[in-house]
Amino acid sequence: MVFNSYSFALFFVLLLVLHNLPLPWKAKKINLLLASYLFYALWNPPFILLLWLSTVVDFYMARLISREQRSAPRKLLLTVSLLLNLGMLSYFKYGGFLLENFTALLSSVGIAFQAAKPDIILPVGISFYTFVTLSYTLDVYRRKAEPEPSFLNFALFVTFFPHLVAGPIVRPEDLIPQFKVPHRATSQQMTWGLFLLSLGLFMKVVVADTLLADSADTVFGVPFPVQPLDAWVGVMAFSGQIFCDFAGYSTCAIGISLCLGFVLPDNFRYPYAAIGFSDFWRRWHITLSTWLRDYLYIPLGGNRKGNVRTYINLMITMLLGGLWHGASWNFVVWGGLHGIFLCAERLIRDWSGKRQRSFAGTNQSDNVLTGSIAQASIIPVSWNGRVGKFGLALLTLFLVDITWVFFRAPDFGSAMRILLSMFGVIPNGAALLTSLDILKVGTVTVILISCHWFMRHSSLVKLGSRMPWWLLSLIWTGMVILLILTQKSSNSFIYFQF
Amino acid sequence: MTPLQKASVLTLVCVLTFVVGWELYCRSQHLGLSFNDDESLWAHTRKEIYQSSPSRPVIIGSSRVKFDLDLDTWESVTGEKPVQLALAGTAPRPLLTDLANDENFKGTLIIGVTEGLFFTPDGSFPEREATKRVNFYPKWSLSQQLSFHINRVLEPWLYFLDEERLALRPLLTDLPIPPRPGTWGGPKFPREFSVTKFDRQEIMTDAMVADTAIQNKVKAVWMDIGAHSPKQSLPPFLLTAILNSVKKSVDQIRARGGKVVFVRMPSDGVFREIEKKSHPREQYWDRLLAHTNTPGIYFEDYPALSKYRCPEWSHLAPKDAVTFTQDFIPILQQKTGWPIRIRAAKTPLATASRSVHN
Repeated sequence: MVFNSYSFALFFVLLLVLHNLPLPWKAKKINLLLASYLFYALWNPPFILLLWLSTVVDFYMARLISREQRSAPRKLLLTVSLLLNLGMLSYFKYGGFLLENFTALLSSVGIAFQAAKPDIILPVGISFYTFVTLSYTLDVYRRKAEPEPSFLNFALFVTFFPHLVAGPIVRPEDLIPQFKVPHRATSQQMTWGLFLLSLGLFMKVVVADTLLADSADTVFGVPFPVQPLDAWVGVMAFSGQIFCDFAGYSTCAIGISLCLGFVLPDNFRYPYAAIGFSDFWRRWHITLSTWLRDYLYIPLGGNRKGNVRTYINLMITMLLGGLWHGASWNFVVWGGLHGIFLCAERLIRDWSGKRQRSFAGTNQSDNVLTGSIAQASIIPVSWNGRVGKFGLALLTLFLVDITWVFFRAPDFGSAMRILLSMFGVIPNGAALLTSLDILKVGTVTVILISCHWFMRHSSLVKLGSRMPWWLLSLIWTGMVILLILTQKSSNSFIYFQF
Repeated sequence: MTPLQKASVLTLVCVLTFVVGWELYCRSQHLGLSFNDDESLWAHTRKEIYQSSPSRPVIIGSSRVKFDLDLDTWESVTGEKPVQLALAGTAPRPLLTDLANDENFKGTLIIGVTEGLFFTPDGSFPEREATKRVNFYPKWSLSQQLSFHINRVLEPWLYFLDEERLALRPLLTDLPIPPRPGTWGGPKFPREFSVTKFDRQEIMTDAMVADTAIQNKVKAVWMDIGAHSPKQSLPPFLLTAILNSVKKSVDQIRARGGKVVFVRMPSDGVFREIEKKSHPREQYWDRLLAHTNTPGIYFEDYPALSKYRCPEWSHLAPKDAVTFTQDFIPILQQKTGWPIRIRAAKTPLATASRSVHN
């Protein structure tokens, strides 16, 4: 079930009614759990078995790990959990990719091998709920958390429908404590939750699907070079589309949870106003970047083992982060480019010797890739003025957009063709996009960058509380009217495929 | 009340006011109620193919069979309504391949041939939308089905739920923005052109039938499409490949006991003259029938079918579609020898007076 559907609207209204009935808290939690299973099953019912398997195994493995004091059995139990979770993820997500590359490898050494093409369907959200359950087991193993005694609370933590299929990737401490005591939205929470739901749907349905998707699909869908203007507009369209699509989903998820009385963590903080890549990863898909930091980068040694190891660890983290998005070398290149940019940023900082915290007002506790990486900044002192910072933000966005080419293109050849088109290396490319397409993408891009820039040190909650109520209503009305005008949108969220 | 609550109340009032106003405006345009001919409606219709028979054929093709074969009239003649799967502006070959690959489909198939769309290579633009529908069908999730049924309840009551004519996307497309040299945004049909019924019947609106200015706008769209279509004829090897793929699919269906017929619906005026030059009958239609060894009905071969004029050169007006269908069924029966049940004839006027508003 997608948030932008009539079926979800009906589901959500019924659930809200049910959740606000005078029932015992346990009954309400059971309702939420059953509703979450229904939410998931309405895509492809058999895949719910995988979700159950993951939930049951991790719940009991964590209990056994917690009881066991000896190191070797603890490691064995953890291995079982990791094998199950990562095994399922590998089979469903990377099975075809691994087989394809294995065949290519054999072929390159002269061995003719043609395996039957596996017909594997990727279960929606498997990457997300696998990371959710893994974080729980790993936290218990590392004795950072106690195992949850209630299976109901744990199952609801894993399955809670707002975050289930596309995040935010929640940690046990984010949600489980909220399930322990009765929660019901206050009228303030309910209203703000509905506002966030409207905003998220507006971002997804109006901006991503209606104003931007067509231009991106056109430019990335043709097998021939295009004019530089078309290439740039296509890339900017995708840049805006993926933000509005994914941040739109997260905003909906946070809003829906709030309507039920639960708080989910933020997943985006105006990433297109980032100054540098460490700043970008503090603002983009925050729950994934913090997950990678805590469960991959730091266990690899982080920045504690010297400069060379730090760079290697950064690259490993970003390459695997890229691969998490999908079974394609393009995602690896995308992650690799981000890793290179992060390393370059750190190199420049070390070279200039100017260690400074880059973002006043930003909560430093949310650093993405540990302390010193997060401190990395490419801002020379002379760039510290407002205009200079804005220029650096645009430079960061320019580089981020370059990486999006690999993220969106169907294959490496197409990505290179778009890149060469962008810089005018291929002459006589085709003109594809109409005046209206360019106008739509240009307008949305300018508005998006402006919003991110002016909001980079703020938040929606702060803005909402400062704004006159009639102005907030005007904005809200505008969004809902455009949503109604756009009507239904059957497009899935891009991140569902990850 | 907190400021947030005040904002929410004002928003609700403004939005409700807008919805009422917009709905009244949409109704005042006299565009007629139209169902969204989207993937879900197509998939819903696709589910019906397994009960097909000569009296209840499955129809695939482009827009002409959607306008010209009147489903209600067919039902009044045979007692059963055909399954309309044709898609406007598309090549039907992906649909044909899909039906041929469906082992459970053993029914009767009418394939509308509009040469400019039918004889296009694999993966070409006219195939994309058809391929999209075919790919969507097996993935039509329970959630999407539920949304479809909710939408189905709402659509007859709310005119503004018309994605093709009244949603943000078509409204933006109507903006008077100068075109960028060297690009084409696709055909821009006037909103009054046609409406889609729930059974996927396409019919011209009353305004379209009555107003030659609107008809001329549609004619201009055909010329615009022609100006942006490939000028060179199909290379022989591609034509052979297309014919081979069609033959393969037709043979698959017939091997299971199914029945297939090709039909060429009327066109006239400048459009017809262009079609004669770009797709000469002997090079395309005749070869198609011979190559696939399949019967076909070409409108010009039958006085009863060639007496009609198309208001915009390509499709029949609703009134003509009724009598055309009544004339077509006996010809189909005679040409194929299929056991089509024909009830006692009804007076044509009983159904011919329909319009988009009833």
